[in-house]
Amino acid sequence: MRTSARLFAAYAVASLVPIGALGAVMLHGTAVDARRWGQDQGRAQAAVIAEMAVAPALAEADLADGLTTGQRDRLQRATDLAIYNDSVLRLRVRGFNGQVVFSDDGTTAGGISINDPAFRSAAAGHTEVGLLSVPEAPGGQVIRVLQPIVASASGQSVGVLELYLPYEHIAARLREQTAVTYWRLGAGLGLLYLVLGLISWSTTRSLRRYAQRQAHEALHDALTGLPNRAAFHERARAALAQDGEPGAIVLVDLDRFKEVNDTLGHHAGDELLAVVADRLRAGLRPADTLARLGGDEFALILPRSDAATVRRLLDGLSAALATEVVLDGVPLSIEASFGVAHYPEHGRAVDELLRRADAAMYHGKRGSADIVVYAGEDMSHPTQWLVVQAELRHALARDELVLHYQPKVDLRTGEVVGVEALVRWQHPQRGLLPPSEFLPAAEQSGLIEPLTAWVLARALADQAAWTATGRSWGVSVNVSARNLEKPGFADFVSGLLAEHGTPAHRLLLEITETALAADTRRAEQAVLDLTTRGIGISVDDFGTGYTSMSQLRGLPIAEIKIDRTFVRDVLEAPPSQAIVRAIIALAHGLGSRVTAEGIESPEVADWLRRAGCDEAQGYLYSRPVPWAEVGTYEITGAAS
Amino acid sequence: MKRALLAAVLLAALTGCAAPARSEPAPSGDAGIAVNQGLHESLPESIRARGTIRFMTDASYAPMEQFAADGRTIIGFSPDLASALGSVLGVDAEMVQGDFHTALDDLAAGQYDGVLSSMNNTAERRKKADFVDYFAAGTAIIVQRGNPKGVTGFRSLCGLVVSTERGTVQADLLQRSQRACEGNPMTIKLYKTNADALVELRTGRAAAVLNDFPPAAYLASDPRTKAFYQLASTTQYEPGLFGIAFAKDAPELRDAVQAAFDELVRTGVYTELLQRWGIGNGAIASGTMGRV
Repeated sequence: MRTSARLFAAYAVASLVPIGALGAVMLHGTAVDARRWGQDQGRAQAAVIAEMAVAPALAEADLADGLTTGQRDRLQRATDLAIYNDSVLRLRVRGFNGQVVFSDDGTTAGGISINDPAFRSAAAGHTEVGLLSVPEAPGGQVIRVLQPIVASASGQSVGVLELYLPYEHIAARLREQTAVTYWRLGAGLGLLYLVLGLISWSTTRSLRRYAQRQAHEALHDALTGLPNRAAFHERARAALAQDGEPGAIVLVDLDRFKEVNDTLGHHAGDELLAVVADRLRAGLRPADTLARLGGDEFALILPRSDAATVRRLLDGLSAALATEVVLDGVPLSIEASFGVAHYPEHGRAVDELLRRADAAMYHGKRGSADIVVYAGEDMSHPTQWLVVQAELRHALARDELVLHYQPKVDLRTGEVVGVEALVRWQHPQRGLLPPSEFLPAAEQSGLIEPLTAWVLARALADQAAWTATGRSWGVSVNVSARNLEKPGFADFVSGLLAEHGTPAHRLLLEITETALAADTRRAEQAVLDLTTRGIGISVDDFGTGYTSMSQLRGLPIAEIKIDRTFVRDVLEAPPSQAIVRAIIALAHGLGSRVTAEGIESPEVADWLRRAGCDEAQGYLYSRPVPWAEVGTYEITGAAS
Repeated sequence: MKRALLAAVLLAALTGCAAPARSEPAPSGDAGIAVNQGLHESLPESIRARGTIRFMTDASYAPMEQFAADGRTIIGFSPDLASALGSVLGVDAEMVQGDFHTALDDLAAGQYDGVLSSMNNTAERRKKADFVDYFAAGTAIIVQRGNPKGVTGFRSLCGLVVSTERGTVQADLLQRSQRACEGNPMTIKLYKTNADALVELRTGRAAAVLNDFPPAAYLASDPRTKAFYQLASTTQYEPGLFGIAFAKDAPELRDAVQAAFDELVRTGVYTELLQRWGIGNGAIASGTMGRV
């Protein structure tokens, strides 16, 4: 605003210079023209006087000899009235040698010097007009005309006419004209200046608006009109700069936005984003900031808010988002993940807080909670994930992964009846890594598919190897929800089985409860496809998730694995005992085997055997080891 | 402008050649006219002593003789010829404005050395003066542009007002033509100068003016005057010779000027001067034929 005002002022001053110069030139021209016009008036008057009054009176005259009485009388008569009427102030007829042959007042003295250039010029045939200052004359100025007297048609000049004419009337007329001209000039230039001013005003205004628009566009998202990432950073920095005020940075990411885009088109996706933006905006306080960082990712700055306030606010937003929205006739329920980082608690730098809010949000995406507050470094770091994902891709290519196996022991016979394949990563720098170090990253990306394929293929190959050495163990392989969701997974597995010549019943696929719960219909279909091919399905971590009983009813589950959390304290805690007994009863009722995980003592093994559990797995028997080492372990307490 | 320039050139030539001491022959043109010392010696003592030969003229007869724009300098063919003659004779030539109709009397009275004013060499005038002929021309009738009175010749002038300069052959011609206008005579008005006669025609008080052909043609073609005048016809009436008049008692001056004129004719200066003023068709071969 100030810049544009300065610009306008500069324009105004700059255009004043040419306007002023133009005015000066035109005024000067007017003055010169007026002066010339005045002289021309005198010249014209003198010409008429000379031709009509003086020349006829001087016909036949020889000025060198003086005038005859008749000539003098005629001249006198011709001039008297003009003098009387003030049309002529003075009239002299001069010979070429300067003598005054006639003067209206009768004197022969006075007159211009013969050596005056004007007189000489007139004697040589030219008319000389000059403006003289005569203080005693009215107006202070008179016109003096010196011109040759051509008394006859032959063109012969006989002398010089010296004529003084009043300038007063001419001057008055000139002043009048000049005044009019000055007014017109002033008005014209003023108008011109005004137009220039208007043009520069409008130009600076356009520029200012353009600059404002540019500035707005630089800091705002075009689709939703919300502040963009750059603006968000700026505002977040400003909010953080207020010392001692707690607040929160929140990242919001829409779940399954990509599906909307893919199935309904980008137009619907954009509409959805606009709806989300409106709903979020409506739920915020005036001091809060909502920004769109890109894609389906939004960010909030919630200043001067403690954790409880933030929680309340986000609950409200989550509820508002959950309201059904209809896009292209398709009713959708929007779900979003909120990742929260409090400041100053979780950091004082915008980037740090954003990273932590991001980590919390991804954590939430993997779990069931939609609002997750950052809770320390154990939350997998998305940026680390990227590294892990990149390295894992290489690991697959370079065959850095290995499979270890943990035996499943029949609690009644103490024999090893099967093994669970567990993937390890022989990382070139970090050594042997457990699955928890890289599986979440693989789950989050498409890498889980090639990874599972690799594990399946290796496990079946290993199984073929140990079968060849006389071992008849079945093998269990963990598959993720993503594997099940991928169409054609069952075909893929049967293909592998055929490849290795393995009967389908010797492969058991372990699926977590969470995976089953995630997308009931598709997971169910996948499980059905697998079981119809004779492949066994095992429900992993049973009791920690939300498996629906109705799901279990409809699926031919081969095995249910009791989560280690119930097994650990089964000797001391009656509730755990109750749960374990119930699961065993449930599983047997459904026709499934029961396997207990995390057996670390013979007592627990004994309790489980007595409770009716079929198989057990745990450090009591063996840690996960290469398959060749499984058989050499002393199975302790298995048959006690 | 052109004429003023010419005048300036000629004036320069005139002053440049006034110095009698210069003897080397020059190729041609005014500037190069050599003084003929023999002719200079033959001039009358009075003229040699004065160093100036004075010609009377009536400067109202362009392009023969007229006033320049300054109203004082006399320019035209006649002044140029005078200057050239002076150059040959080794004296300055001066043109003096005078009255045409009293010219020969004033000449006889000794006011001038000669009359050089487009004067026709007639038997009448030869009674008063001797002539050195220098030009041939007839008379032309000038009328207003558009010829409102329908003048075609002398016969059609009957009953009209005709003006001309007093004392000229044209005035004489008009008087003689009056006989053909029985019962319907011309009103003949005579004026002191040719310019005064032309004022009458310009203002419509006269129907025609008689002039020698060169000035008449000049009036009808000069940009400043052709809007007002035209020739009634291209006929030249009573062609005659223009002569420089000298007093009867100055035969040696007459002979010297005759010789100088013949030299100008011989050297081509005469032709060049005629061409300068656009009157080449009035040239004569030599000045001797008109002399008696």
